[in-house]
Amino acid sequence: MFNEHEKAHLIVQLRAALQEAVVKCSERCLYQSAKWAAELLTSIPTPDEPSEPEDSQMTEVTTEGLPPIVVTGNLDPEESALEAKEINQYLLAKSFFDCREFDRCAAVFLPDTVLAGILSSTSSNTAQNIASPKGKGKAKATLGRNNSSLAADIPRMSQKSMFLALYAKYMSGEKRKDEDSEMVMGPHDGGSAVNKQLVAIRQFLEKWFHERSNEAGEVIGSQGWLEYLYGMVLSKDKSEEEAMRWLLRSVHLYPMNWGCWLEMTSLIGRVEDLNRISQHLPQNIVSFIFHLHTSLELYQSTPTLSSELEQLLSIFPTSPFLLTCLALLAYHTKDFVAADSHFSNLLALHPHRLDSLDHYSNILYVMNLRPKLSFLAHLCSSIDKFRPESCVVIGNYYSLLSSHEKAVQYFRRALTLDRSCLSAWTLMGHEYVELKNTHAAIESYRRAVDVNRRDYRAWYGLGQTYEVLEMHAYALWYYKRAAGLRPWDGKMWMAVGSCLQKMSRDLEGIKALKRALLADSYYDAGVGSSFGSGGGRERGGAMDPEILLQIAGMYERLDDEQEARAYMEMCVAQEEGAAESLDTSVINIHTDATSSDDESRPAFGGGENTGPATGTGVTAATSKARMWLAKFAMRSGDYPRAMQLATELCQDGVEVEEAKALVRDVRVRLEVGNS
Amino acid sequence: MTRFLTPSKIGLLILIEIYTEAAVPTASTIPFLSFILNQLVPSTLKRESTTSPLLSRSSSSSSSPQSLPFLLELNDFETLLSTHPAASGFPGRTLWDQFLQKLWGIDSLYALHQFFATRSHLVAKTPEEIKRDIEYGIPEPSPEMIILSRNSPLGGFVRRSRVEFERLRFSHGQALWMALVRWRRESLDYYARRNGVRGRWVGDKALEEGEDEWGLNATEMLELIAYGIPDVDGTNPRGVSTDDVEKLLEFQVEQMQKFGTRMPLDLQENFRKALDESIMVPSLSHYLKFLDAWRAGDFTTSFDNLHRYFDFTMQNRDRLFYQYALMNLAVLQADFGCFDEAIAVMLETVSTARENKDMACLNFALNWLYHFGKTHPKLLAGFEATNLLGTEREGLAFLRVKAKETGMWTLWSSSLLSEAKLGMSTGESVSTAFENILRSSQLIVDKNLKDMMGQQTAMLSALWARLGVGVLSRQYCDIFLSCHARYALFDDQLRSTCRVAYLLTEKGCYDEAMKKLEGLDENSLRSWKDNQYWLEFRGIIRLKRDLHRDNLDGADQLLSQLLQFTGGQTDPDLSFEIDLLHIDYLTRRTDYPRALAKIEELASSLDEDGGDINLRVKLLTMKAILQAKSGRPQKGFSVAVRAASIAWRARLIPALWSAMGAISNILNSLSEFHAAAAILASILPRALESENCSLNAQLYSFLVDAHMGLAGRAEAGGLQRKENLTRCLEYLDAAFNEYSALEDIKGQCEMMAKKATIMRIVGENVLANDYASAYLALKSEAALAKA
Repeated sequence: MFNEHEKAHLIVQLRAALQEAVVKCSERCLYQSAKWAAELLTSIPTPDEPSEPEDSQMTEVTTEGLPPIVVTGNLDPEESALEAKEINQYLLAKSFFDCREFDRCAAVFLPDTVLAGILSSTSSNTAQNIASPKGKGKAKATLGRNNSSLAADIPRMSQKSMFLALYAKYMSGEKRKDEDSEMVMGPHDGGSAVNKQLVAIRQFLEKWFHERSNEAGEVIGSQGWLEYLYGMVLSKDKSEEEAMRWLLRSVHLYPMNWGCWLEMTSLIGRVEDLNRISQHLPQNIVSFIFHLHTSLELYQSTPTLSSELEQLLSIFPTSPFLLTCLALLAYHTKDFVAADSHFSNLLALHPHRLDSLDHYSNILYVMNLRPKLSFLAHLCSSIDKFRPESCVVIGNYYSLLSSHEKAVQYFRRALTLDRSCLSAWTLMGHEYVELKNTHAAIESYRRAVDVNRRDYRAWYGLGQTYEVLEMHAYALWYYKRAAGLRPWDGKMWMAVGSCLQKMSRDLEGIKALKRALLADSYYDAGVGSSFGSGGGRERGGAMDPEILLQIAGMYERLDDEQEARAYMEMCVAQEEGAAESLDTSVINIHTDATSSDDESRPAFGGGENTGPATGTGVTAATSKARMWLAKFAMRSGDYPRAMQLATELCQDGVEVEEAKALVRDVRVRLEVGNS
Repeated sequence: MTRFLTPSKIGLLILIEIYTEAAVPTASTIPFLSFILNQLVPSTLKRESTTSPLLSRSSSSSSSPQSLPFLLELNDFETLLSTHPAASGFPGRTLWDQFLQKLWGIDSLYALHQFFATRSHLVAKTPEEIKRDIEYGIPEPSPEMIILSRNSPLGGFVRRSRVEFERLRFSHGQALWMALVRWRRESLDYYARRNGVRGRWVGDKALEEGEDEWGLNATEMLELIAYGIPDVDGTNPRGVSTDDVEKLLEFQVEQMQKFGTRMPLDLQENFRKALDESIMVPSLSHYLKFLDAWRAGDFTTSFDNLHRYFDFTMQNRDRLFYQYALMNLAVLQADFGCFDEAIAVMLETVSTARENKDMACLNFALNWLYHFGKTHPKLLAGFEATNLLGTEREGLAFLRVKAKETGMWTLWSSSLLSEAKLGMSTGESVSTAFENILRSSQLIVDKNLKDMMGQQTAMLSALWARLGVGVLSRQYCDIFLSCHARYALFDDQLRSTCRVAYLLTEKGCYDEAMKKLEGLDENSLRSWKDNQYWLEFRGIIRLKRDLHRDNLDGADQLLSQLLQFTGGQTDPDLSFEIDLLHIDYLTRRTDYPRALAKIEELASSLDEDGGDINLRVKLLTMKAILQAKSGRPQKGFSVAVRAASIAWRARLIPALWSAMGAISNILNSLSEFHAAAAILASILPRALESENCSLNAQLYSFLVDAHMGLAGRAEAGGLQRKENLTRCLEYLDAAFNEYSALEDIKGQCEMMAKKATIMRIVGENVLANDYASAYLALKSEAALAKA
């Protein structure tokens, strides 16, 4: 793509940009973004010979010296003059913010009187516009005028200071919100506490943007930070389209603010949204990372994604963020072993980093690696036991030990520390299901979904819980949501299918279950191999006899005995492995699939199956299928077949009595037939 | 620090598991089980051990379970186990190997959880569990296994451990796991060698497996993060649980209350360390600090800590224990000389105890008040209006009856002894005193009241001393010291030792007496009150010696210090002794008026308080002798006769002899030499029994005077005169010997001078000269010693 020199040049630029981003973000007290940028910055490998004289860029950087740690200059002369003037106050405000005295910090630049003046002037304007009742409006107007004569205009200050002040306001609102909300899952915890500062900030920013923007709606001289804040406030207000617009503006103006990108991610709920948005995005590396990250959040796992990741990793080989993405990618494709090793690698590289270790604990949980999970829990607890991630890890560990009460306790702790901790809500739901407290389970799942609509596990959990409560219509709805989020996860479709089956919507059920079969084999075959390449799958993959049995059952209910028989045969065939089943069944599926399922999908199976297909062995499902087949053979008068199946049943030792009765019956019939 | 579980408790659980697997050969079962039980059974049941090793590790002989340290280290397990072969498995493997196998089998935090989860298999199942097991088709455990019954000590321990583990929060479980890793570390080499395992991370599965993925450096890094940097400050936190600490504290408080000593310094340090580790500080530790500060004589600290203790106990105990708080406070106040407050508080104790119908507390408080009244009669006079106990005797009788009713044997026995003492001090019948002592003795033997032994023998010793049998008196003290001192308060031991020392000084064995005092336990002497007593007593002995050696300047210095003590705070016996010595000093300074004034003052104060009759007789006798010294012996006649008659009535034999000595001296002055000689001749043999050198010397010198008088009466050169003079010489020698035993220079000189005079009379001028020069030699020697 680039030659060496160009690449070196780019990297130098990138490094400078990241350095600047770290300083700018921490200037504005956006700690997480600063951390993210710094992590990325240090993961760029440093060149072995730092001083190549011919590299002009390098020398330029070194002669310029390091960027100042506290304050950066501003390119806009007006802004920079303002900043220089305010430097003392700014430093004061920043130290207040660092000490978490948010209100005091905000008051350095925006004393409450000033703020009230500005807000009341805007509100009185609106009041006049709507023509409010006279007396009241007058009083208000006079009040507003009194104030507005003092401070109707926004005081002149640099954007940096304004951002800091407003952000402090926002943070103080968040803090108060946390303080106001009740105990997690307590009787009054409806998750309805709101940040009361939002309105004020929104009005303020509205006014500011209004004042500064020209006819075309462009805000002159703005540097992106205030747009970010405005977008954030709007998104909290649920005006998401608007929020997205402002956030897009912000990333155009200043792309290195990762917090802004994250905010955008949280606004994107579907792949289509992402695709739509990406046309409007600036073209740079952070945008690239954003695309990757958001796709992962949407549980995408396409090969393009992994190649994107490869590319990024070649630039930032040790970036913990990207390594986490790598692991998550493997996790989403259900390649747990790889995910485990990626996370393990990450752990070794950044042993003190707790971020996203909760995902790792999920993986270890699924893999049932108990000692390892216990060690992880131990490690997290030693590093910081009051981080939501640690609590989730410990909760997972307790869940694995089947001490569900303790697990719930730790998930609750995680939520007390951070109410937006998505995995904790979902996992707590799981624990409540284990504890048979369906009410609480539903509530926690619901809260999880409220926090993040993309969490298929929560949707699935909701469905499951409703299914337990035998409220299939609800369950179906939630299962469908889950399946929509993960269309290639067989489990989702299977759930949808069984739910439909229970609601006696057999045709739809059959469709769903068939998708489940497909999806299973899709994942079993590994991601990268054949999606979209059509046909030519390496391996048909074993099908779940349970699903096959269910499909057969539904066909039977639809009085389609032939289909039913075919599926039953397939089900029995799973005992031996996929290879044997093909000759009898493939065609049926094919015909059926093309007729009823318009989803384009690989023809699975395919006679040339070579893999070492191992069967499932005798299971309850296959035995049932065999029994059904034997009875079917009886009905259709195929006594030798019935005899054979019944004897097999006897040998398998499942439902021996019934099988024996069948054998006797067959024998009698045979004798009758012979004689 | 966990509440209950420690690594060593995990070790015990493993031992129990080995035991239930029937892996212990029959021969080893007993030491094996006693090792376990020694740790499990509450300490009160095994309180036969005489020493208190506590945290300090006792040396050697680990075969006897009693000598085990309180906190088990791994090598304690090793010494137990490595000697016993395992009943099963490879030959040559000991139980130690099996133990290690299991210990190192816990190879991750998860394994630890698993370990506790499987503990339930060791205990017999409840019927419901059995039913459930049958439903699930879980087979019964093999018959070879020993199943612990649920309520046996072992079963109880296993169940408790499980519950305690279940209760642990994650971080505490993690701390336990880390403690276990640390605890077992030293056996790593042996285990690795024995089982052929290699590698840096034996016993930690996660790290061991992780090394392949992470590489050595990263694994080490992770280990450091997870387990912390080992031994940063060089101190390993011990595996102590709150439970252990509480047990220790209880034990220590009991020890301190029982022996009345302070904590040794190293022990104090250990306690501090153990408590530093814990977040939860048991409130008992405040009590311990209170006791220690109290003994150390640190009033403010002890006061503060006592209040703190009660503040912290209020929450989980009822106000019902308020009276005990008050009682402790009263005793504390009294000990620091705040008598008025003490009385007020104690009276409140009495009323609260009455309100709450707490007889034990009430009786104790009344008993204390009684004794307090005995020692400080003036102070209690103001409260006489409330008159709790009626007259003394009635009060004692009341206490005795109450004690009997409520079964407070100690109180009963002590009230009997008090009664005996009261009888003795008022000079009543000796047989009544004996009767009381015997009854108390029966009680002590009956109820095994070992801690009363001190008072009992002290009483007997005092009684025999009054009866003039010094040997018996001393023997009782010796018996106590050699047989019973171990179980008794240190205070008793101190007093008995002092008594022995006192008897020794009376015989002039100053050095020996001092040695006895020096030989007392140094740690126990750290207790402030005892230390005071001890110091005073040493002062008294040195003062006596100085007085006898005629080192009056030194004596003056000592006296000026000792007289500080005679205020209300110290033991009345000691302050009386000091006063007597003061009088002696004044007499030797020939400051007779002041000596007389002092005697009068003492006598009047004794009259007021109704003091001990023995002391009164002593004062009377002293007064008589003082009169004689000041050259007006006849003036002391009535006093001496009164002293003699009182002493006779009260059977105060040594006092009687000295009174008789005073009388004979007066007789001498009245020239009734015959009578005086007769009296002295008849009392001397009996007086010798009491082994009081100064008395003997005095009596002998009076006898010499009497005989001298007789010789003077006889005609010059006659046989009778000569005979008397020879006797004089004989008795002079005896008196001289007694004085020299006492190292009493003045007495010796006087005798020498008399001897020289007699020699001159007899005409042996050479000898007279010799004696005279001996006299001078003595004088100069004394002057030299003084210098």
